[in-house]
Amino acid sequence: MGIAIHGAHKAYRSRRKQPIAALTEVDLHVARGELMVVVGPSGSGKSTLLRATAGLEALDAGRIEIGGRDVTTAAPGDRDISLVFQDYALFPHLTVAENIAFGQRARGVPKTQITTDVAQAATMLGLTAALARYPRELSGGERQRVALARAMIRRPKAFLLDEPLASLDPDLRLRTRAEIRELQRRLGVSMLYVTHDQTEALALGDRIAVVRAGRIEQVGTPDELYSRPSTAFIARFIGTLPMNLLPPEALGRENGPVTGIRPERTHLAHAGHGHLTGRIAAVEPSGEETVLHVVCPDTTRILVRVPSSDGVPRPGSETGITWSNADEHHFASAEGPRTA
Amino acid sequence: MTVHQEARVRRRARLRGSTAGRALAACMVGVVFSFPLAIMAVGSLRKPGLPPPGGLELLPDVLWSGNYETAAGLIPLGQQLLNSVLVVSTAVPVTVLVASWAGFAIAMARPAVRRLLIGIALVVLSMPASAMWVPRKVMLEQLGLTDHALVVALPAVMGTTPFYVLLFAFAYHRIPRSLYEVAAVEQASVFRIWRSVAFPLARPTMFAVAALAFAAYWGNFIDPLILLTTEDDWPLALGLRALSALEPTLHPLYMAAAVMATAPAALAFLAAQRALAPRRDLET
Amino acid sequence: MNEQHCQPTRPTPHRRWDRARTPSLRHRPTALALPWLAATALLVGIPLIGSAWLAFTDYYGFGAPSFTGLDNWHRLATDETFWHSLANSAKIAAIAIPLRTALAIGCALLLHRRSSMNSAARTAVFLPSIIPDAAWALLWLWLLNPLYGPLPLTLEAFGLPSPGWFTDPAAAQGGLALVASLQMGEGFLVALAARRLLPGSLHEAAAMEGAGRIFTFRRITLPLMAPILTLLALRDVVLLLHTTFIPALLITAGEPHSATLVAPLYVYRRAFLYGELGYASTLSITLLITAAAVAAAQLIVLHRTRLLELL
Repeated sequence: MGIAIHGAHKAYRSRRKQPIAALTEVDLHVARGELMVVVGPSGSGKSTLLRATAGLEALDAGRIEIGGRDVTTAAPGDRDISLVFQDYALFPHLTVAENIAFGQRARGVPKTQITTDVAQAATMLGLTAALARYPRELSGGERQRVALARAMIRRPKAFLLDEPLASLDPDLRLRTRAEIRELQRRLGVSMLYVTHDQTEALALGDRIAVVRAGRIEQVGTPDELYSRPSTAFIARFIGTLPMNLLPPEALGRENGPVTGIRPERTHLAHAGHGHLTGRIAAVEPSGEETVLHVVCPDTTRILVRVPSSDGVPRPGSETGITWSNADEHHFASAEGPRTA
Repeated sequence: MTVHQEARVRRRARLRGSTAGRALAACMVGVVFSFPLAIMAVGSLRKPGLPPPGGLELLPDVLWSGNYETAAGLIPLGQQLLNSVLVVSTAVPVTVLVASWAGFAIAMARPAVRRLLIGIALVVLSMPASAMWVPRKVMLEQLGLTDHALVVALPAVMGTTPFYVLLFAFAYHRIPRSLYEVAAVEQASVFRIWRSVAFPLARPTMFAVAALAFAAYWGNFIDPLILLTTEDDWPLALGLRALSALEPTLHPLYMAAAVMATAPAALAFLAAQRALAPRRDLET
Repeated sequence: MNEQHCQPTRPTPHRRWDRARTPSLRHRPTALALPWLAATALLVGIPLIGSAWLAFTDYYGFGAPSFTGLDNWHRLATDETFWHSLANSAKIAAIAIPLRTALAIGCALLLHRRSSMNSAARTAVFLPSIIPDAAWALLWLWLLNPLYGPLPLTLEAFGLPSPGWFTDPAAAQGGLALVASLQMGEGFLVALAARRLLPGSLHEAAAMEGAGRIFTFRRITLPLMAPILTLLALRDVVLLLHTTFIPALLITAGEPHSATLVAPLYVYRRAFLYGELGYASTLSITLLITAAAVAAAQLIVLHRTRLLELL
């Protein structure tokens, strides 16, 4: 068993106002060797969850187990974990080698052992040439790799990563993302990975947990979250383009569930035909595909994604939108749970 | 030129003008503050016993270096200099250590404890030194500690003043929390975190506190005056006083002694300044 | 979907911080404050209690102190000299503290940028603080000497009136304030650090908007530096009681007409010239309460303006 969180509760109390619930009834299990991504909007409590797992913040109620051991009251240093932060948290006054070796030295590991361990970690992360340099001389990606080397050197039971890619340039992000995944697979270590970027979540996670307002809305594989989101919120949150959520009125019904349809599942039709008709307000070409913003007479906005090879219609022109009923999702309300 | 470009040219011109103004002002400030030291040095080169100068005399007509020898003969200069050095070399490191430990504790403590510690610091800070003269003397006399030159260094064990503690607390507070957290996860003990993370990263503050403590102990006059009775125990700052009762025409002797009392400290400070030039990226 | 657990846990409302459940750094960080706390208790706490005790006694340094109840305090109430000395301290503080603070801030703002000229000037500003107290005081004895002193001579050379520094009470008080103000190395260092901490982007943005120097100072620099500066002012009030003592002792000896008899000097005389350690303790305690009251007033202002939250 990798990481197990049972019934976590945490509330912040400010002197004058009501307590703010940061985490409510959170249960999460990360299997051994699994990469679990915790994703959610800012302020959803995902960082709090990570920090509580690390021992940097105390839970008001609940239990945390790491590697099968109850660590709820253990100090951060006694939980057999490693932390990787968004700002890399490298000691600026130490060289790369000294940064990596920091924990070993703190634990009193003999110097010869340290040298070997550091060399091994450096090789695994391609840092051998940089060992004598200082963090300020390194690029963002290199710095993150140093942070990873420091984290892995003592083979902890779990890695906790708090938005590790957020400070990197987009091109570096892709590469470092792959390196993290590769490292995790090689080490076979459980990873709890927090991010606000759902693309990262879909790309990296063995499983994903979506957090909103301190609660876990859904836990599942990327495919499960994409094809069967359990709430409308997740439907909009997960996926390169947010799912279109149409109230019953938009489809000419008086009442009924909110209908969800992914932009990539829609097709253009002649004006007047199909489920909806509207005016193309904006056209966003992006290589192989084009995204169209369509506005209907009742001000409903809908996103459509079509292959560019189909021909790009002129902005301002009228078009119909159609889709297969089998691709529809139904929700109780605009943020609510799935009904079908 | 576009409006934007014009504005930029105007701004640059204004900055350039003000930079020259600033440089001039800085120069004047430097001169004004160097004035006392210069006067001291110049005054020490005046031949004693001469009648007062007719008007403003920037440099005496005859430069006389004999004052230094004479002054050194009037007070046990060597011994007192040694006392000063002894006091400072003990008090400064101890002050830095104790104050930085306490500052670190304040920065790391949980809010309730931190408020308490800062409260204590502020309370002690608001006590005038004069309130401590009588009771400390009585206490130290009872303990039989009043005839050692080092007694004057005693406040160092409480960091000399809570002000330094607060300075350190502020500096440690500014270090990104994530550095401390990573160190904690890496199983570093609190002492190790202080030694390997906090203290090295607050180097400018360390030098500032060391400089301030150095100045305080080197020049400290009142504590030796109250606590030490034997002239041989006196630091140089107090030994100077013996020369202060001289009549004005003999002031150059006093100036010479003052230069001798100030020079080692000034030189040490200047040397430390060069060594301390803070590295941009480590500055907190 | 949320996974089921065997025993649902309910949140406990408003549970106070539970030591057993809170993870912490290995060993508590507050342990590092112990040397400071212990030493403070020994070197400040105990003397303070001793002083409070002595304030109710007669004690001359030998034998044992004899308890005299409120006698000292009755004496204090009618001791004109003491209240006069307190007034003197206040007057000099009223000149010196604004002067010192303005000098410290002004020099910090002028000299904070990196350049060799500034570096030299910064050293010059701090150097007077390196000069030992006695040397500094007696340097000014020379500087202000009506016959030999460079300052009166310079003033006369420019045709300006030179006040009788040692003969005119007001001039003597002003002179004392001046002597205390020019040794502001500590305040300068702190103001410098405070200025350096401000992010440059704010001033750049202001300059881009065409903000003038004074506007920028008033609306950006000063408010951001306010917490540290208030701490400085607080420290200064207490420090000034100390820094005026030595010049008053060595230069003016409290004269003329006791105009520069500052409170600490009076305490010193009672304690070490007259040997009245009991009464001197009474005076010390009164001084302490006064200083504490002023500091407390400042702290309340600080708290009200929520500046302390920056600490």
